[in-house]
Amino acid sequence: MAATLCRILLPKQGWLPFTQCVRHGSKSVTRHKRPLHFLKQKLMSVTRYIPPPRPVPLGAYPRKTSRDQEDDPFTILIKKKLKSVLQESKMIAVVQNSGSTGDEMVLLKYKLLKHGITVKFFPNQVVRSFLKDSTYSNMAPLFIGHTVLFISKEPKVKEMLSSLRTSRHMLLLGAFIDNTLLSAQGVVSYSKLPSVAVVQGELVSGLTLLTSQTAAMLQRHPAQLSALLQQHVKQQSSEGAPKAEEAT
Amino acid sequence: MFSIIKAAVGGLTALCRVNGHQQGLLHGHLKVLASGLKTHDIPPDYSEVMLPDRRKLKFVKKMPDFKNAKKEMKNLKDIQGPATAANAFTKGEFAIVAMGGGYLHWGHIEMIRLTINRKMDPKTTFARWRVNGPYKPVTRKGLGMRMGGGKGAIDQYVTPVRYGRFIVEVGGKVELGEIQRIMTEVAQKLPFKAEVFSRASLAAFQKRHADMEQNNQNPWTFKEITLGNMLGIRKVLSPKDLCHNGRFAGKFHLPWRV
Repeated sequence: MAATLCRILLPKQGWLPFTQCVRHGSKSVTRHKRPLHFLKQKLMSVTRYIPPPRPVPLGAYPRKTSRDQEDDPFTILIKKKLKSVLQESKMIAVVQNSGSTGDEMVLLKYKLLKHGITVKFFPNQVVRSFLKDSTYSNMAPLFIGHTVLFISKEPKVKEMLSSLRTSRHMLLLGAFIDNTLLSAQGVVSYSKLPSVAVVQGELVSGLTLLTSQTAAMLQRHPAQLSALLQQHVKQQSSEGAPKAEEAT
Repeated sequence: MFSIIKAAVGGLTALCRVNGHQQGLLHGHLKVLASGLKTHDIPPDYSEVMLPDRRKLKFVKKMPDFKNAKKEMKNLKDIQGPATAANAFTKGEFAIVAMGGGYLHWGHIEMIRLTINRKMDPKTTFARWRVNGPYKPVTRKGLGMRMGGGKGAIDQYVTPVRYGRFIVEVGGKVELGEIQRIMTEVAQKLPFKAEVFSRASLAAFQKRHADMEQNNQNPWTFKEITLGNMLGIRKVLSPKDLCHNGRFAGKFHLPWRV
C-alpha cells in the first residue's frame, strides 16, 4: 500500500516531483508467505474455487472396476481357439489338477489319447470372460483354481474315469456331455448307463414280447398246444359257472 | 510341479501342432498357466526421432564476461508472476518445470548438469538447457558489517526463474518411466518447487486449470472485484494482483486459486 504511493512515474527526464516519499514499504516478494491483510483474506475466501456438485456423493457406489476393458490380441486368439474347441467336441470335462508332475501328465495324456481324448490348458480369466458372453454361461463356476480341460469328439466317459481313478492329483469337477451339464456324480451315473444299441434292443423286445411268445408257443409240439387250449377252455367255463352262480 | 515355461510359448506350441498328437505329447505337459494374463503394450516407435550431435548438457559459466561488472538493484519482480519465456516444449519430450519463483545460482546449475549427464544414456537421450547461465549480480556485505557504508560487493551471479519456466528439456528414444526418476531427483533439489512433465501431462495440467476456471460455481471472481475496485479493495492490494488475479503471492504460486 505504502509502496504504491512511492512508485510515481516520472513523465520527463529530469523532472522531480514536489514531494518525495521517504517511507519504503516492506517487500512484496519474500521467502516466507507474507501475512495477508484481513480484507485481502476475506477477498480470497469470498472468491475461492467452488467445484461443481457431484451427481452422486463419494462412497455411495462402489468404484468402477476395470472389467469393461477391451481384450488384447492374445486373449482374442485364445477365445477363438476356445470357441472352435467347444463347438467341435461332444464331451468337455473340467478336471482340477492339484500338482501333478510332468511325467504323470505325459502318462495321463498318452492313456487318454489312445481313446481320442485331448488335454487342453486355457487361462481361467479368459475362459470365464468367454463363457459369460456365450451360451455355456452355467459352466463358469467350474473354472476356479488349476483346471484342465479334457476334450473329445465322442463321449468316452468310462475310459476317462478309469484313467482319472489311477491318477492321484486329478479330480473331476464336472462335464458338459451332449449339451448337458453334469456334475461329477452325474458323470459317474452317465458312465453306468448302457449303450444306445442295448437300450434300443430292450425297447424292441419289450414291444414285441406278446407276439414273440405266441410265435414260440406255435412252434412247439401240437399235442402241447391242444392241451394248453383245452386247459384254457376249462378255465373259461369254470370262470363262467361261478359268475352265473354269483349272478343268481 | 510344472516346469516354468510361459503360457505364451505354450499357446504358440498349441497352434503349431501340425504333426498331430505326437508333438503335443512331447511338449504339451510343460505348461504353467497363471491365474491372470500379463499383456505387454506395443513399444513406441522411435524411427522418426532425431537425436542432436551434442546430447549432454553444456557447461555453464559461473559469471558472465564483464570487464566492469556493475551492481544492480534487487529487482525482485523478476521472480514474481508467471513465466512468459521458455514455458513451452521445443524439441524434447520431457521437462523440469518450475512451480514457483526463485534464483538459480551456479551450484544448482552444476548439480543439474552433473546429475543429468552422469545418469542419462547419451545413445538414446539428449538434454537441453532452457535457462540462461547466471547473469544477475547479487551483492553481499561482509560478515558482521554494520548497516551503511554503501552497497556491498558482488558476491555471485544468479538466474531468475519464474513459475512455469522450463529448466531442462529432455528428449530422444526414451519413455517417461525411464527418465522420470533422474529428473525428479534433480527437481527436488532445486530452490523452488519443480515438477517433471511430459508434453501430454503438461497439456493435461493446463487443461485442468482451464476446466477449473470454466466450472467454477462461485459467482464472485477475484478479477471482477479487483477490476471494479469493489469496496475499495485495491487499497489493500498491489497492482500485480490485478494481473495475477490472486493466483500468486510474491514468488509463490497458489495452485488452489482459480
